[in-house]
Amino acid sequence: MIEVVKRYHTAMRTAATAFVAVLAIALAPPTSSAQRMLIPMDDGQTNHLKAYGLTYGAIKAGMQAEWLLNYRGGSFLLPDAPELRRRAGLDGISLEPVSDAQLAAIRREMAGANMESVPLEKAPKIAVYSPPDAQPWDDAVTLALKYAGIEFTRVYDPEVEKGDLTKYDWLHLHHEDFTGQYNKFQLGYRDAPWFRELVAKNQTTAKQLGFTSVPALKKDVAEKIRQFVERGGFLFAMCGATETLELAIAGHDVDIAGEFADGSPMDPNADAKMNWKRSFAFKDVHLEKSPFINSMSDIDGHQVNVAGRRQPLGTFTLFNFSAKFDPVPSMLVQDHRAVLNDFYGVTTSFNKATLKNGVVILATEEGAPWTKYVHGDYGKGTWTYLGGHDPEDPQHAIGNPPTDLSLHKSSPGYRLILNNVLFPAAKKKPLKT
Amino acid sequence: MLAALAIGAPATAPAQAAAPAPAPDSQQETPEVTRAIELENAGKFRDAIPIYRQAMRTNPTPIVVLGLERSYAELGMTDSLLAPLDSVMTRYPKEALYHVVHLRSYQILRRYDAMRVAFERWVRDDPRNASPYGTYARMLIEIGQPATADSVIERGRIALGTARDLQYETAQLRAAMGDWETSAHAWRRTLANDAGLASAAAYSLAPAPATARAALRTILGAAPAEAGARRALAELEITWGQPQAAWDALRALPSDTASATAWEEFGDRSMSEERYGLARDAFTAALQVRHTPALALKAATAALRAGSPAQVLTLTPQSEWGADAATAARDYLPLHVEALAAMGRGADAERLVAKYDKYLAPGQHERMARLLASAWVRAGDLQHARTSLAASGVDADSSDAAGLLALYEGRLDVARRLLRTSLDQSADMALVMGIVSRVRGDNAPQLGAAFLALARGDSTTAAQKFVEAAAQHPEAASALLIAASRIHAARNDTPGAIALWRRIVTEQGDAPEAAEAELEWARALRRSGDTQGATAHLEHLILSAPQSALLPQARRELELLRGSTPPG
Repeated sequence: MIEVVKRYHTAMRTAATAFVAVLAIALAPPTSSAQRMLIPMDDGQTNHLKAYGLTYGAIKAGMQAEWLLNYRGGSFLLPDAPELRRRAGLDGISLEPVSDAQLAAIRREMAGANMESVPLEKAPKIAVYSPPDAQPWDDAVTLALKYAGIEFTRVYDPEVEKGDLTKYDWLHLHHEDFTGQYNKFQLGYRDAPWFRELVAKNQTTAKQLGFTSVPALKKDVAEKIRQFVERGGFLFAMCGATETLELAIAGHDVDIAGEFADGSPMDPNADAKMNWKRSFAFKDVHLEKSPFINSMSDIDGHQVNVAGRRQPLGTFTLFNFSAKFDPVPSMLVQDHRAVLNDFYGVTTSFNKATLKNGVVILATEEGAPWTKYVHGDYGKGTWTYLGGHDPEDPQHAIGNPPTDLSLHKSSPGYRLILNNVLFPAAKKKPLKT
Repeated sequence: MLAALAIGAPATAPAQAAAPAPAPDSQQETPEVTRAIELENAGKFRDAIPIYRQAMRTNPTPIVVLGLERSYAELGMTDSLLAPLDSVMTRYPKEALYHVVHLRSYQILRRYDAMRVAFERWVRDDPRNASPYGTYARMLIEIGQPATADSVIERGRIALGTARDLQYETAQLRAAMGDWETSAHAWRRTLANDAGLASAAAYSLAPAPATARAALRTILGAAPAEAGARRALAELEITWGQPQAAWDALRALPSDTASATAWEEFGDRSMSEERYGLARDAFTAALQVRHTPALALKAATAALRAGSPAQVLTLTPQSEWGADAATAARDYLPLHVEALAAMGRGADAERLVAKYDKYLAPGQHERMARLLASAWVRAGDLQHARTSLAASGVDADSSDAAGLLALYEGRLDVARRLLRTSLDQSADMALVMGIVSRVRGDNAPQLGAAFLALARGDSTTAAQKFVEAAAQHPEAASALLIAASRIHAARNDTPGAIALWRRIVTEQGDAPEAAEAELEWARALRRSGDTQGATAHLEHLILSAPQSALLPQARRELELLRGSTPPG
């Protein structure tokens, strides 16, 4: 498992020591004088999303790469290698050759500002939890990975149950319902062929894997994901997976599924029986007990599928962290825009009242009781949640055409997703002691 | 005002929803109400409201209720409508329109609990009417509550003992739920009674994913061929990018006047979208039922644009031109002369023009002369073409046509001089100018022969002559070879085109045409399944011609090959 972020986090926890140490890191001289090229990530970049793929490819090829946090939108510094230039040319990625003198000037500028250089060392092995027959366009992360040219492996319930998560550094979840209630889509789609097929497939899988019901299977999968993070994995989740994963983990020993899902009604005292010590981000959540209301709990602030509760979309603002002292949150919010348009999902946002203490809020909407983007540590690993389904399709509905990212090459929302893909590659620099 | 009208007249409501309306005496409005309508039209809603309210108390009519609804809505005061409306509904409990306005008011105010109560009241007031169920269900669909709408329709079916009058709502609901087949069945039943809802059906079913479309085609296309279902299917096929299938859906309709109207409408739409072959077929089918001169002219025009000039003569035979020679000269003559020119029948065209010469309008002579010249060119008789052109008047020796004739004869100096001032911006002229401006020298017989063959419609010879001209004119070789390659590609001769693209890329790599050649070569390879070869060419193009205007297209092709963007 990659060491970087874990070690960064250790440093953050031992505050005073880390304070001095990271300051020393900021002042450390460059280790190589070879010719470099800068991949700017401000408005000078013509294809922000492909730039992540270029950087990932460079790391995977064993090249030295640096992420210049807060420098020109979170630029990348790569070796001026012919193969990288070729790929940049093919993908339409802007690059700027940087001489040693120019690089020294960049580093001087960064040393005196809220900027930091983070070496990127090892390309994380990426798994995406998704049904094997799902189209990549169903999921914003697979869309982004495919478009950026970053390799990933699809895993689903059989692979997770087999223990395959140990093979990966990074795991992504999207709109899976880990409570096993199919996002309550039976309310609107019970007779739709695709929904009937979905139910049948899940029931078959549950039976094949030895579970009595789909909720039982999904809760076990959620537990294995919890263990993956606890042991040092990086988890990134979006949309309904954020909320339902938490419910499944906290409700491991409680019947939280409606009768239509497992044949028995939800435990009427489920709220009181939830064990929130086990979960990553949330606490004291109230479950939605009615099987006829398309909501899981009060975690989501927007409740898009409950007409009487639905909140309108606004904008959310990324926080500006100290790049030198909080490099991990800084990496997660690198962007050329600070204010982004919000977008709906089965779970769109996270009510602040349900967040545990210590959760790092990465982005929020001013005046709203919810936040959009949160992050935290758990065991030896980390988790990050981004609400909503597709940053470039704010009101995505089932059956909508897939988003064509070649039309959104500089999407600020998709950059947040790719920040998450790249940040596990970060390496802690040697301390200057 | 548009917003107010929209509120007053919901466009999607089917006829049966508003039908049962035992309205009060409403045909004659009082002068006061007429005054209120005038004030409303003038935007003086605050002045109109007291009059409408007075009328609500004394002589409420649907026009009064709708007027008050619109006025309050314009001022954002819909809640003020509720009290007077309630009084009117108490007096006329079975008046469907008042209940619709009642429900709509709560929908606008987003008071969904009150909307449900209003629905229950309507059901109590008129228990055997399907309208409450249908209206309320439609509103629930609009506000994103399909599950509740489903329950309402089911309740209506039980209460009424049939869902016959709720097919429209069922169709909309099932489509909103993604249950496409059930929706299509319901639409089929709805359209059997009201073919006018075909557009609504198509709009509702259009989002169906590709995997569901075969079933929808089967349902809507099943025998017997009914106008509503077929029109809906045709609209769907056009939305899904299958215009030929759209026509196939319509052509199966029985030959009657209703079908002829549908065919003519389809023909008009196809013409505007430049699908001339389909337009010709649709107009021709309509013509079999409704033989009018206007329709025959449309069919002949479409046939000419579709490349079927011979059909012009059969669709509008001279025997049907009528007795008025001036009208014939204006409407039919140009079509026939153009068709004869396209067929290279110069002598026939000349005779026809001579017959109607005295009826030609000013300016028409010149056009006729050019058509005659092109007819002779197509027949390969340049001398005759020149003579025809000379007859057209003062600019016979200075026109584009004269320039083209000079080009066909290989007199490049003359062609260059005459065409320099051309205002013609067509693709054909762009090709001519692009090549003529690059070829050096004053005489180019091979080049002239190539363009002449092209003008005569002899594409095989034209392609061959362009390649021969490339050998004679190395300074314009790439332009000549790309012209030849386009001809090969248009004739679906992919190997012939690839041979020329290869030659341009390998021998003329620095030429402006190299990027187009390589892009087309890559596309041809992609179509043939050679992904690797296509990728190599696209990568070469992107890296070797980073300033090319074709770069975005090349990158797009590359993304599709890599599968990194969704197809379509």
